[in-house]
Order: sequence, then structure tokens, then C-alpha cells
Amino acid sequence: MTPAGAGWTGWLEATAAATAMRQSLWLYPIVEILHIIGFVVLVGSAAMFDLRLLGLSRQLPVSGMEHHLLPWARVSVLLIVPTGGLMFVAHATAFAGNPAFRLKLLFLVLAALNAAVFHLRPFRRVAGWDRGAPAPLAARLAACLSLALWTSVIACGRLLAYF
Amino acid sequence: MLMRISAAIGLLFLAAGVIPAVAHHGWSGYDATKEMTLTGTIKEAGYEHPHGHVRLEVPGKVWLVVLAPPTRMESRGLPAAKLRVGGKATVVGYPHRGNEDEMRAERITIDGATVELR
Repeated sequence: MTPAGAGWTGWLEATAAATAMRQSLWLYPIVEILHIIGFVVLVGSAAMFDLRLLGLSRQLPVSGMEHHLLPWARVSVLLIVPTGGLMFVAHATAFAGNPAFRLKLLFLVLAALNAAVFHLRPFRRVAGWDRGAPAPLAARLAACLSLALWTSVIACGRLLAYF
Repeated sequence: MLMRISAAIGLLFLAAGVIPAVAHHGWSGYDATKEMTLTGTIKEAGYEHPHGHVRLEVPGKVWLVVLAPPTRMESRGLPAAKLRVGGKATVVGYPHRGNEDEMRAERITIDGATVELR
């Protein structure tokens, strides 16, 4: 739809990047594809780590998995955020008022907070349950929350096209 | 082990529980039982992602007609230049359930050439 927004979202829609996103023939689908590749890596890393915390593959050290997965998760953010931003500015007014989009942002913030709390709290003492032992309750709760929140982020991201 | 896997998978499905309740595609907002044909003048055209559109003036009303993604229209022989403001167009499609002046076109005919949009 042609943007008819006012205010800061209208300003965003008038930028060269937003116009290119709407009018260039292949830019939009390319950006969508890169966004998907990015969140597949991010949510995939998070989910595999969460499953380990929940007790699967206990022979693998939690710290080793963290060393392997976290850098990939960080790199993926460099792909996800700019592409997400481009899709947002293309239709900023519609997105800003979209309930699924707002919910997605809320879940994103909660997922990030959950990961931060996990790293600052239970993960600090990972040496005690690194391998062959159950993770503490706080870690398992963080894993459950992480799975639920990231699934919700993806669900909202897909559903925002339907509102 | 098996219990843990089932528990984890169960949790994923629980979290994803909102999805199956929603229709498969984004066109459910249009009433496919009310097929309509409009012929009018293009007042405005947008060859834009995710869906192109025209504002089509028919006697007494201006319809917002939602078309297909530009990439599809291009590949089916409806380049941007054919959506000419001031030109005539005939569309066959379905009215929006909520917005009285919006419809989604199944096909569009311009200069005698019909392009399927789905």
C-alpha cells in the first residue's frame, strides 16, 4: 500500500531506503531472504542451547556449546537488524500500528532480557554443571522461556502480514 | 531421554499454539464468495512491495484495488508502465470484508491483455 503516514513514520517512509525497498523489483524479497537466514541462525543457536540446558546431550559441555553458538548468534544479529529495519521503514506507519508487530518487539525485548539474566546469573556457575549433570532450575526455566519467547517472536513476525 | 525430548517438543508446540488457528494465507480478509468485475479509470498506481495497487474510478466510487507483488506482475507481462494513470482497466476480484472501498484483484485487463495475479 502507498504510505500515507505522518510524523516520524511518514518521514521514514519517505527516505531513499524505504522508497527503494518498495519500488526496486528484487530488493524486498532479497532483504526478506537475508532476514530469514539471520533469524534461522539466531533462533537455531538459541534453541539448540536451550535443549542442552533442558537435559538433552548431557555429554556435551554447556560452556563448549556456548563458545560455539554465541558468536554465531551475535553475527546473525548483524544480518537480522539491518534487514528488519529496511522492511520496517518501507511501511513504517502500518508496522508501527500493527498489533502483531508491537507484540513481536515486546517478545524480542523479553527474549533478550532472558538471555542477559541467564548469562549474569546461572551461567556464571556453569563449571558446577558443565557436563553430565542437570542444569539448575533457573537455567532450565531460562531455557523454557527462551524457547517460548523465540517461537512467539517468529510467530508474530509471520502473523504481522495478516493484520 | 525420550521423555525429555517429548517434553521439549511439546513445549515448542505449546509456544506455537497460536499458529494453526489462523488462516493459511493473507487473503482471508476478502470475501471470495462475492466475485465482482469493475471497469474504470486508473487514478493512481503503485508498483510497490509487497503488493502493487491501483485506485480505480468507477461511476460514483473510487476503489482501492490490491494487485500482486511487482516481481510477479513483471514476470506475467504487466510492467509498471502498463499501470498508466488515466488509462482504463478492468479487474475481477473480491471485496474486502471490512473496508468498503477495497478489493483484491484476481486478474486485471488493460488494453485487451488479461494478466492473472494469483
